[in-house]
Amino acid sequence: MARINDVGGVEGFGPVDTADDSEPFHADWEARVFGLMNALRAQGIFNLNEFRDAIESMPPGEYLAASYYERWFAAIRTLLERKGVIEPGELDD
Amino acid sequence: MSGDHSDATIARRVRRLETLLEEKGLLTGGELDEAIDSFLAGASPANGARVVARAWTDAAFRSRLLADGTAAVRELGSMEGSYQRLRVVENTATTHNVIVCTLCSCYPLRLLGPSPSWYKSEAYRSRVVREPRAVLAEFGLELPPGTRITVWDSSAETRYMVLPRRPDGTEGMSEEELAGLVTRNALIGTAVL
Amino acid sequence: MTDRFAPGSRVVTYLHDPPHHTRLPRYARGKRGVVVEPEGRAELADVSARGRADAPVEQVYAVRFEARDLWGEGDHQVVLDLWESYLEEYEEGAADER
Repeated sequence: MARINDVGGVEGFGPVDTADDSEPFHADWEARVFGLMNALRAQGIFNLNEFRDAIESMPPGEYLAASYYERWFAAIRTLLERKGVIEPGELDD
Repeated sequence: MSGDHSDATIARRVRRLETLLEEKGLLTGGELDEAIDSFLAGASPANGARVVARAWTDAAFRSRLLADGTAAVRELGSMEGSYQRLRVVENTATTHNVIVCTLCSCYPLRLLGPSPSWYKSEAYRSRVVREPRAVLAEFGLELPPGTRITVWDSSAETRYMVLPRRPDGTEGMSEEELAGLVTRNALIGTAVL
Repeated sequence: MTDRFAPGSRVVTYLHDPPHHTRLPRYARGKRGVVVEPEGRAELADVSARGRADAPVEQVYAVRFEARDLWGEGDHQVVLDLWESYLEEYEEGAADER
């Protein structure tokens, strides 16, 4: 079935907010998540397609509510838990 | 989109993950900083602007750029190994090109710099393949009715960049001055010059 | 290995709805298009996304679609980059349902 990321032609997302915002990161943790993704990929812990797959597999409500780098972090967690690198819940408070 | 509370929570979790990975030997202290720094240092719309200005002033380069973007961009140096393949698509008097990635957010980072938030938004990704004229109008770009629009949806390894039309009245300008006219949105196709 | 499709070939995308990652957006499934050019061979994302190192390597093609074939209206075109196994030859007169 189609996944939530597959939005081409889907109605209802409203007008484009065309504000010229090209700040790469809006918080330090976003930069860290960016770095983590690249480091883990470089080490072969997961590949780019697995990473995309993990983002797309988010429950639709969570995907839509999450910011760009929140999605990245969710995908990193999913993959690291699936591969046994970390324990489920190990990052929670 | 995140409030302060969830921002603090996720920042804490990211730190915790970094620590865990360092303990497991999967990450060394400087590794992330290095990845972030090289990303920020190497990616800029000035790179794309330089390519465009060269294409406007050097017809042979322009031909090579349109035939094989990957190789032509490499001639200008400093952009090695960034993409599996770069395809440059040229705007003309009757055709206009615009770039999107409907499935995620593929983007020629090295040449265009960090992507704007709107490029990654569901609003842009969902609509530009369906109603490009309406989306371009939201950017203040009204194309003549006869202009043929092609939307390039980057669904595999190729990354796309638009070669905008050279503005009228720029005949006497140097390559450097021309590069200064090129905007990031013109390289995506949501603006013209 | 030779490419299955040459520039200008008329193709139709598969209508399959896979239970896994794919790079064929749903708006372009079961649609007719024309091959623009081969783009170079790449690992099939559908298999690589399962963490497998044995993903087949296929030619990827830029394929041009008319908006009216995708949406029933519109005068623009959309170009997608599609792996060879997403595509079938399209013969004039063949049944549209696939």
